[in-house]
Amino acid sequence: MTLSERIGRFLLVTLVWAGLAFLALPLIIIVAISFTETEYLTFPPVGFTLRWYERFLADTSYLDSIGLSASLAFASTAIAVLIGVPVALAITRSTLPGMRIVNTIFLAPLILPTIVIGAALLQYASILGFARSYTALLVGHVVIVVPYILRTVLASLARFDRTLEEAALDLGASGFSTFFLVTLPIIKPGLVAGALFALIISWINVELSIFNTTAALMPIPVKLFNYVQYSIDPMVAAISAATIYVAIVAVVLLDVMVGIDRVAASQK
Amino acid sequence: MRIRNFWAALLIGVPLAFMAAFFLVPFGVVVIASFQDKAGAWSLANYARILGDSYYPNVLYVTFKLSLLATLMSFLIGYPIAYYIVAVVQSRAARRFCYILVIMPLFTSNIVRSFGWMILLGRQGLVNTTLMTLGLTERPVQILFTELSIVIGLTYILVPFMVLTVAGVLQTIDRSLVEASLDLGASRFATFARVTFPLSLPGVVAGSLIVFTLAVSAYVVPSIMSGGRTVVMAMSIFEQYGSLFDFNFGAALAVGLLVVTLVLIALSLLFIERQPSGRQAMNG
Repeated sequence: MTLSERIGRFLLVTLVWAGLAFLALPLIIIVAISFTETEYLTFPPVGFTLRWYERFLADTSYLDSIGLSASLAFASTAIAVLIGVPVALAITRSTLPGMRIVNTIFLAPLILPTIVIGAALLQYASILGFARSYTALLVGHVVIVVPYILRTVLASLARFDRTLEEAALDLGASGFSTFFLVTLPIIKPGLVAGALFALIISWINVELSIFNTTAALMPIPVKLFNYVQYSIDPMVAAISAATIYVAIVAVVLLDVMVGIDRVAASQK
Repeated sequence: MRIRNFWAALLIGVPLAFMAAFFLVPFGVVVIASFQDKAGAWSLANYARILGDSYYPNVLYVTFKLSLLATLMSFLIGYPIAYYIVAVVQSRAARRFCYILVIMPLFTSNIVRSFGWMILLGRQGLVNTTLMTLGLTERPVQILFTELSIVIGLTYILVPFMVLTVAGVLQTIDRSLVEASLDLGASRFATFARVTFPLSLPGVVAGSLIVFTLAVSAYVVPSIMSGGRTVVMAMSIFEQYGSLFDFNFGAALAVGLLVVTLVLIALSLLFIERQPSGRQAMNG
């Protein structure tokens, strides 16, 4: 390397690590101040206490919100898997016409403004009489997480050696056993990655949920959103930090189960 | 294994019915409602009201301006990170570490991330104390609740999308082209400027498209980071639906945002389709 190339490399590396630090900084700050002994937010934190975590865990309304969010995340992901896998199979394995359109319809929620999807769902549910209900929240979450499953499963199916399935069929396995014994295990990494993304997308969503919430039916991010706009204190930091811990678990799971470098480039 | 079309139709029947019932029809409802008045009669009054005075055109202008700035910032921060991960980092462990740093924020809600920036940018925040310690300013600078803080917040949530999209395309670039350029005596700068960067352009366009669309429709970040002082499109839409209960006018605003988004997508697709590696950027 020439001197100017060395300087260029040095500048690039500095820029990149500054950028990566920029990405980590707000999260580190929140975790740090959630342990402060002061009554107000301060950085660096003063002392160390778990009081703020105890306070929010003692408040059942926060636990209810967390329970609702977890229930929505798991239910919508499960339904999205049941929707996404068959659709991916039909798209890649059939000669039905119009599959490009089908593909576009299922992936569209990814690119259309979530706030508009939320508004549409509220208006529609109001007409049919299920506005601001668990059902309204759930179907909305399914719509926005389906693309994550569909995309990763489609990618796994595209890379897949079809002779494996043909061998199973030739050896006398039924279509069903071939799917469960051959196809499913091979698309499993894609499915796991898609499902983890789906879980998280549902878990952190505000823009869609906010239209169909009530005081008694409020996912945790929406509750946090309402809280942050009026007051911020170390308890909010503790709740926020708790959601960051969930994110850490999800990222670690993703890395261990699929390999984050493999997933990353296919997620965009 | 082919699936017989009869079974395929059965496989997609229920999912398609679900999407029709809870995605396509609701959008239809919004479009229809936007062309009706409160009594249900056909009318263009909602659109006339949007264009009637300077308020909503100004909201749209502010939304565009902030989104464009955030997209530009995301590119400036995100591209080097993507390039570094794909082309510079050698070990898989280091690459995974970088990806974890990129994906972690993506897995954290916009509220939590904005909240982090509220703390950083506040009068007593780390940014202001650093500026004062360095002697760049004597008194705390008002950063929070300005347009600058909205751009910072938006950039922060959008950088990961830019990194992942650009990295996806950079990965597909044939390394032998880069090696050929170096072998023929081009410097690394020249190779980057004349080989790698042009080939990665579809990724930049796809990434900018995703980032800009997300910025234009962002609700949480502008709400928190503006402290209500700046109004963007998504905030106007939610105000109509959530507090003023004027669904018809809200619908017209939503359709406006939708049309803008679709036009942008169409324009970018047109550009990407013309690029040799463009299809990979979208399908890859």
